[in-house]
Amino acid sequence: MPESHKPRDFFEASAAGAADHELRRKLESASARHLEHFEQVRDEFSPYEAERTAARAIKQDAIGRLDELLVELAKKLEAHGCKVFFAANADEARGYILKLAQASGAKRVVKGKSMTTEEITLNPALESAGMEVLETDLGEYIVQLRHEPPSHIITPAIHLSKEDIGNLFHEKFGIPYTPEPAELTAEARTRLRESFLRADFGITGVNFAIAETGTLVMVENEGNGRMSSTLPEIFVAIMGIEKVIPRLADLPHFLEILGRTATGQKLTTYTNFIRGPRTAGELDGPREMHVVILDNGRSAMLADPVLREALMCIRCGACLNVCPVYRHIGGHAYQSPYPGPIGSIISPNLVGSAAAHLPFASTLCGACKDVCPVKIDIPRILLHLRWKETSSATPPDWPAAANRARAGARRFAKMARHPRTIRILGRIAAMILKPIAHDGWIRRMPPPFGNWTKIRDFPRPRPRARRAAESPDAKI
Amino acid sequence: MAELHKLVATLKSALEAGAPMPAQEHPVHAAVPLATDAFRAELVARFARELEAVGGRFLGVFTPAKATDRIVALAKETNPRLVAIGDGVATSDADTIAGALDAAGFALMRTAPTTDSEARAAIRDRMARADIGIAEADYAIASTGTLAVLSMPTRPSSLTLLPPASVIFVRIDRIVPDLAAALDAFGSDTLAANRMTLITGPSRTADIEKRIVLGVHGPKSLDVLVIWPHDD
Repeated sequence: MPESHKPRDFFEASAAGAADHELRRKLESASARHLEHFEQVRDEFSPYEAERTAARAIKQDAIGRLDELLVELAKKLEAHGCKVFFAANADEARGYILKLAQASGAKRVVKGKSMTTEEITLNPALESAGMEVLETDLGEYIVQLRHEPPSHIITPAIHLSKEDIGNLFHEKFGIPYTPEPAELTAEARTRLRESFLRADFGITGVNFAIAETGTLVMVENEGNGRMSSTLPEIFVAIMGIEKVIPRLADLPHFLEILGRTATGQKLTTYTNFIRGPRTAGELDGPREMHVVILDNGRSAMLADPVLREALMCIRCGACLNVCPVYRHIGGHAYQSPYPGPIGSIISPNLVGSAAAHLPFASTLCGACKDVCPVKIDIPRILLHLRWKETSSATPPDWPAAANRARAGARRFAKMARHPRTIRILGRIAAMILKPIAHDGWIRRMPPPFGNWTKIRDFPRPRPRARRAAESPDAKI
Repeated sequence: MAELHKLVATLKSALEAGAPMPAQEHPVHAAVPLATDAFRAELVARFARELEAVGGRFLGVFTPAKATDRIVALAKETNPRLVAIGDGVATSDADTIAGALDAAGFALMRTAPTTDSEARAAIRDRMARADIGIAEADYAIASTGTLAVLSMPTRPSSLTLLPPASVIFVRIDRIVPDLAAALDAFGSDTLAANRMTLITGPSRTADIEKRIVLGVHGPKSLDVLVIWPHDD
């Protein structure tokens, strides 16, 4: 694991994210826009709750018999002419795709958005073998130009303003600066269209795989997923083992909720049903189609009765948009392709022990659980993972700040046994802090409490006696 | 009482004889038979509303002859260098439309199956240069304004993907209420094409500050005509 995945970096990266007011403004405005769209389409759609329940039940059933469903899926896909490869871990998946690309003499690779390929760090492997690898989802294309990872699973460039992107295009392409989304999009369209027509190798992710029919379903809005899976001679679809659903009739339940929660759409612009390479006479579609089915820690999640529920995730990104922590620190601070609440529960297994600290990066407020279209109890899983992590044989290598917080909590625990001392200290603190508070809030605290007010205000402490006296129905 | 016992016994043996019940029951969405014109009109109205909401353009309900006129008129508006047209599904209207476009002097390409890789590459190149792609949809979904298009040798997926202007027509009796009904209508066997695409509006993105921009990689415009097969 790279050095950057150590817990210390999370503290630094999250502090940097939280202190970046511009980043917070962008995240707040994007999240607000998203929630507005989502709430509207959800409220207009009366069966939404029923569809959530149905989708959850189907996923629960599917995950309970992954063994048979994956066998059925693979059999059907092979009957359609696909080659199916089960990868136990990231190395195997990466190795398979790399070998395939090299053997076919691929030079230009086009990719649809796939967090699974981020998970297996595919791009660097293909690039170091001399291939040009192009992310074609507009958001992914933008972050790739900046040599940075996506910061959101649905909106990869959510951390950038239109001005940032205008400057980026101006610098990279030498075009006149414009912050107009329409003009920037048109520029990307022209450049990427040429690449699509020349590409010889295409890779995309998968949203749902239907065992009954051997069909892969991929949803998108831009058409880049369609291009990546249709135009190149070789096409690779990569999916986690949890993407399989039993029947075609199950699919509408997911499609009815996925578009709504992910982007506030009733249905995404394109829903692609793909089942195999082109057959005799067909004018397009790949000559060869490969399906890589990835475990990489998922079966370990399956074996954990609490964590298993996380496999129901359909990657809509809604929990990121409502999470106060994500909205405060941004996706990059998580240093995992899966940020936010869902990332905090799946990354420890999918990315490895380097993400073991992420379950602690939550206030357990429960907004994620409420918004989750398949009602995953994320807070419960977070607590479970915290318990697992802290009760493990080898204590984690905590950064100094965490140790200080622990020591502080211990001192407080001792002090809390003496209510009178607390009351006296509280009065003293209130007296000291009263002159520096404005409207009940303190913007800057004296050391050693200054760290708190670096990124947020502190409420002015008011002694309990006074509070009680002000409140008419208080009983002491 | 005897009748009830008899019925229960009949039901029991029927249940045993039939396939075992699946563990998970899902609501069944059978395709609604389009019995009356009033119901059809309702579906068309809903479809039109939803299509326009996602940035598509609903051109109206036409008889086959009028639809051809409308498409020729549409082509005249944009003055395309090349128009690509695929074979029909439920109608032979593609031939009529192609004939009319040809007569109006437009450069035209029909998509014909081929196994020759050079011929295929040539078709791809021409398709990439076409300004308008015309195709018939297998079904339309009223609740979302969606068109369901199977790919076939005479109607490749790129026909509704590469040309910047997409013109799609669908027969009125192939408009279904919702997604489940459309998948039901296809059935798991008819989904045997290698590709099927549900198209809901022109290609779009919201990747820059969540602002919606139409026409990212796929078509920038989507015009839809509904065909009413009676010439009355």
